[in-house]
Amino acid sequence: MSMRLSTENSDTGGTATNLVAVPAVELTDIAKRFGSVVACDDVCLSVQRGEIHGLLGQNGAGKSTLMKILTGLVAPDSGRIAIDGEHVEISDPLVAAKLGISMVHQHFSLVGRMRVWENVTLGERGRVDRDGARRVVREVGDRYGLTVDPDAVVEDLTTGERQRVELVKCLRRDPDLLILDEPTSVLTLAESRELFSVLRHVTQDENKTVILISHKLDEILHATDRVTIMRSGAVVARKDTAHTDVRELAREMVGRELSKWTAATAVGTLDSLTTPTSDPTDQDLAAQDLAAQDAAAQDAAAQDLAAQDLAAQDLAAQDSAGQDSADQDLAEPDAKEPALTKTNTEEPAATEPDAEQQDAAEPDTADQNPAEPDPAEPAAEEPDTATPVTIENTTDQNPAEPEPAEPTTEEPDTEHQGTAEDSADPDPAEPEAAEPEAAEPEAAEPEAAEPEAAEPAAGEPDTATPVTAEREQPQEVRLSIKDAHATGRDGRPLLRGLSLEVRAGEILGLAGVEGNGQAALGDLLSSLIELDSGTVQVCGTTVKAGRPGAMHAAGVGVVPEDRHVSGCVLDMTVAENLVMADIGEVSRGSFVNPRRLRARAGTLIEEFDIAVPGPDTPMRLLSGGNQQKVVLARELAARPKVLVVAQPTRGLDVGAIEYMTERIYQAARSGIAILLISTELEEILTLSHRVAVIHRGAIVGEMARAEVDPERLGMMMGGQAA
Amino acid sequence: MENIELMLASAIRLAIPMAFAALGEWIAERAGTLNISVEAMMLGGAFSAVMGASVTGSAEVGLLCGIAAGLLIAFIHACFSHRLTVNTYVVGLTLNVLVLGLTSFLLVRTVPIQTEKLTIPVLADLPVIGPALFDQRWPAYLLILLIPLGYWLVHRSRWGLEARASGESPQSADVTGIDVNKRRRQALMICGVLAGLGGAHLAIAEVGTFNQNMTAGRGYLVIAAVIFGGWTLRGTLAGVLVFGAADAMRLALPALGYELNPQLLIATPYLLALLAMTFFAKTHRGPGALGAPFVRGIT
Amino acid sequence: MTSLATRLPAMFRLSSLGTLLLYVASFAVALTLATTLVTLSGHSMSDTVLALYQGSLEGGASIGLTIDQAAPLLMVAIGAIICARAGIFNIGQEGQVLIGGMTGAAVGLFLPGPGWLVLLLTLVGAALGGALWAGVPAALFYWRKVDVVISTLLMVFVATQLAFFAVNRDYLLQESGTGGTVLSSQSDLIPEAVQLPRLGEYPDLNVSLYVFIVLGFTLAVTLLLRYSRWGFRLRMLGHNPIAARRNGVRAGALGGGALLLSGGFAGLAGGMMLTGSVFRFQPGLADNVGWEGLLVALVARNHPLLAIPVAVFFGALRAGGGFLASTGVPRYLVSIVTALLVLAAVFPAAYAEIRRRRRPATAVAGG
Repeated sequence: MSMRLSTENSDTGGTATNLVAVPAVELTDIAKRFGSVVACDDVCLSVQRGEIHGLLGQNGAGKSTLMKILTGLVAPDSGRIAIDGEHVEISDPLVAAKLGISMVHQHFSLVGRMRVWENVTLGERGRVDRDGARRVVREVGDRYGLTVDPDAVVEDLTTGERQRVELVKCLRRDPDLLILDEPTSVLTLAESRELFSVLRHVTQDENKTVILISHKLDEILHATDRVTIMRSGAVVARKDTAHTDVRELAREMVGRELSKWTAATAVGTLDSLTTPTSDPTDQDLAAQDLAAQDAAAQDAAAQDLAAQDLAAQDLAAQDSAGQDSADQDLAEPDAKEPALTKTNTEEPAATEPDAEQQDAAEPDTADQNPAEPDPAEPAAEEPDTATPVTIENTTDQNPAEPEPAEPTTEEPDTEHQGTAEDSADPDPAEPEAAEPEAAEPEAAEPEAAEPEAAEPAAGEPDTATPVTAEREQPQEVRLSIKDAHATGRDGRPLLRGLSLEVRAGEILGLAGVEGNGQAALGDLLSSLIELDSGTVQVCGTTVKAGRPGAMHAAGVGVVPEDRHVSGCVLDMTVAENLVMADIGEVSRGSFVNPRRLRARAGTLIEEFDIAVPGPDTPMRLLSGGNQQKVVLARELAARPKVLVVAQPTRGLDVGAIEYMTERIYQAARSGIAILLISTELEEILTLSHRVAVIHRGAIVGEMARAEVDPERLGMMMGGQAA
Repeated sequence: MENIELMLASAIRLAIPMAFAALGEWIAERAGTLNISVEAMMLGGAFSAVMGASVTGSAEVGLLCGIAAGLLIAFIHACFSHRLTVNTYVVGLTLNVLVLGLTSFLLVRTVPIQTEKLTIPVLADLPVIGPALFDQRWPAYLLILLIPLGYWLVHRSRWGLEARASGESPQSADVTGIDVNKRRRQALMICGVLAGLGGAHLAIAEVGTFNQNMTAGRGYLVIAAVIFGGWTLRGTLAGVLVFGAADAMRLALPALGYELNPQLLIATPYLLALLAMTFFAKTHRGPGALGAPFVRGIT
Repeated sequence: MTSLATRLPAMFRLSSLGTLLLYVASFAVALTLATTLVTLSGHSMSDTVLALYQGSLEGGASIGLTIDQAAPLLMVAIGAIICARAGIFNIGQEGQVLIGGMTGAAVGLFLPGPGWLVLLLTLVGAALGGALWAGVPAALFYWRKVDVVISTLLMVFVATQLAFFAVNRDYLLQESGTGGTVLSSQSDLIPEAVQLPRLGEYPDLNVSLYVFIVLGFTLAVTLLLRYSRWGFRLRMLGHNPIAARRNGVRAGALGGGALLLSGGFAGLAGGMMLTGSVFRFQPGLADNVGWEGLLVALVARNHPLLAIPVAVFFGALRAGGGFLASTGVPRYLVSIVTALLVLAAVFPAAYAEIRRRRRPATAVAGG
């Protein structure tokens, strides 16, 4: 890695246009430790005036800490900060404000029950000038196209409007440096575009500087001039955005090749963001003085997923247009595979745009340079003809054991990913990688389908047969919600006639912008809210909504999106968390049997590979990934008919993401009907068999994975009829 | 007519000490502290006012002593609940026990001292409202100053904006660079000053001596008033007036030959506050983080 | 995270010594303050301590008194602990004790029947009364989301007025006068058969049988909280209500039940004082037992077993307070000392917590 870093540095030095100027912000050798955790390890960051500088990294890479140091919220252990070449000490947020540094936070910075103007003036000093503040809100709004009523109460605003208030709040202080922390996570596509055009305006016309923190590659590619990539507290690369592409960024961010799923998750909503607005995008890019060829490369990279979809559609059309399924979209890469493998093995060099461009046409497999040897490997380890149901693969159970042959050994469990993906066909390959208890025979229905699905995994490409086979035998409907209406406690409608069906063995991806009823749907299926009208049926039986435990008893498992808040109890032990939903199983009469509790916990810990000292460890001490594993283990251990997973990979590191996606896939294969609720479009596109779009509490569109048209999807998510 | 005049005068007179404390309690609650020790603050204020006045022979010094006592209690409360983040109710209850014990323990016979009456000429002769509004002990008129000042402080000043943010949404306030616990401590101390003044007014301006447990739950009434008023200043003061009126009726009605259940009258404020919370749940929404200690990093 | 796990034991070891010192120091400060107070008010501290000792621990009679005082405190504390474990803060025990005493008195006075049965029903009635009084806030909370802290507090004052009302109405609980005597605001004595038998004079230890009931309840609650499914659910609810509901806990039933139970325990404490020591209902029956019981639970940090010694300690103070009169020290000293001790007990833990939190709190900033 370090070698590459040096090359890239020189690369950047050669191409950047305005390096001569004194940097607007320069952080030198910033170090920050929290106990034994190194948040920033001698980080250097240099940002030029008038540019949008991307700060890219996974969760926990140290980017937020770095920015907190810059805004005075956290004091660094060592290092220097220079603003416009002058050395400064930023001891608290007020100093930062005086230096013209202003930050738009990801969460928690607006007070819901105050008016917009009050929020805008909050955090400043001096007399409160109501009329002045109102005027400023209007003025700033006009100047940047961020109209918002200064007298509106914030809690009545939509998420997009709140984001505008946040921006106004920052911009009214006329900062020289504007820092945005994951600004688009709650925005629609249109709102994101609006935001980026504001940022462009701010940097170009007013010569301000913007730092954009993100873990979404598309955002970085689309909106920034230069990008600094952080990993585990250190800067690993600096690049001109014009001279890089998705894959390279992803690799730097993660530290190795990405598996298909992870890559997709990391990429974010690239294609949907760029494709529908290719014209304005291009103009933007031109304005950025990007070399034409780079732009082309970028576009190509951007569209690769779309291309994949098209290919999938073609194939689907050929073999009689299936309603389903993963097998289809996966089929198409196989077709291309032979042509591309040569290129891939050469390791898609970061510095070679041409090769990249080629790869770009073939997203998933391209990443998998270690692809070649793989097919042999699983075959050697296990009889590839065996049905996944019966496989007990210990090696795969514990992905921590690396296979020596593999070149990329940083995080061994990806190798299985790689293995699985050599055919670029995640789900059929799936059963081979890690076989959890989910595959235990009690899931009766899917078995018929499974052998077929397993075939391509074991053998190779041709997926035509399973597709038809699966299409001919539609699985039973496990979950059926009909015309659900629900109202929040504050009287606002949460669900407005939502209807959906999920079949056994199927993953239904529910896409949508955050705050459109996903939470309510999750709550509904967790028995947390009641319905005003409509029904929920599980396996054909109507379940009473809102009665605690009813959904669970009917066989609905839920992995909630805010697992540490509502999925587990941090102050109880891991063992207790593992049996929470089914205390009855470890009880005798009305008393919990500690021995059985411990035993059951031990089994699950082993089975789900949860890294924990012992069953009596407090849940609080576990990492996010392991907490998520506990929740998932608990829900799967209850042998659900339906599993709802909401934002399963949010906030997890790469290894955990792969683990989760793998498990979800397996669960589907074992016949569980899966409802995947996610705001990350790519997560949905990679995992789902079908995609539904939720908007304002109702399903506004539904399509088979193969029919997905990102543009249409994006418009639906934004609420435009499509 | 004369009865009404008397009753109104008595209601106002009874409401005034509570109005001071209620103003303070309102400020504290808007900043996020449900301050139960307001009872202790009033009682402590009353006690030290009488002691101070008795020792120095000056009612004014007594008032200042009362304020100091309220402030001291508020300071202790603030340290425990907004530095150490101990549960504020526990601290409040303990302080109430402590101050009740202390004032009872230290109770000695004192020389009665009262502040002067300030009768405003002409206006005091107005029918019905004259005696009620313009014929009071002079500290009462401080309210005319303090109430608008309190409103301005909370709703118009920078400090108030930050204090309200701290009570409403401490995490947001924190991110914005506001020292949440500091604002809460300050609000609590303002409450201490006002409640101490209220207690002092009760003891010095109205009664002239100190009796054991002389506030007799007026602090809790003040809390009920803020709740009854739906955490608005206007509503809080209205609550105080209503409660004062109920008290006045309890005292005056038997003499006037009316029969009304005294227990019911005493319980009225509490019942009203409960009913208000039950039936106006939407408008009667307390500050978002009322009573919850703020610890940075816990969301 | 693993580093945190390894660091944790070390931190505890370090802090346990420091915390111990802190405890010693803060209790010392509290006692110094009390001593100063006594001395300044012109009394002798040694006499005061002696009086407190004589009143609470010297000889069987005093010990019996201490235990009698401790029993209702413990009862209230157990209820408060159940509630706190469910994440609900009931601070209305004072009212619940009073109402329990009142309903108990009504049953004891007016219900005919064999003494033991009436006694039993008196206690049941007292518990139900307390539960009912806690039930109002419970209902308001689960029906209208009215804050439990506020409503239980307000209900205390309503309870006081209700008690006064009852003992001032001859058709309710007011004592039946004989001839022209002035009636006071209290009920008649309950029949002797309905008074709880005492352990007798053997061996000079005169305690009411209640102490066994209380200890029985304490033990039962301890076991139930730790090992039963109910306790499991209750803890879940207390630690994380959302997760609890997701896992099938009926927050209303369980939380409301805990509140009712808490009120029931408080009411039972009232019934115990009625049938065990006071024998008639008075508006002053509760005598701060509700408030102090709540503080016992707090000082015991919501551990039922730990509440036993704390309750005994508080009970000893109360018992000793009765003996203070001989020294001329006002008995209010007891409440002062109690409050100071509570603050002293709360301080070290809170201080240590703040110290401990300061480090991880900044670590949250990571990412």
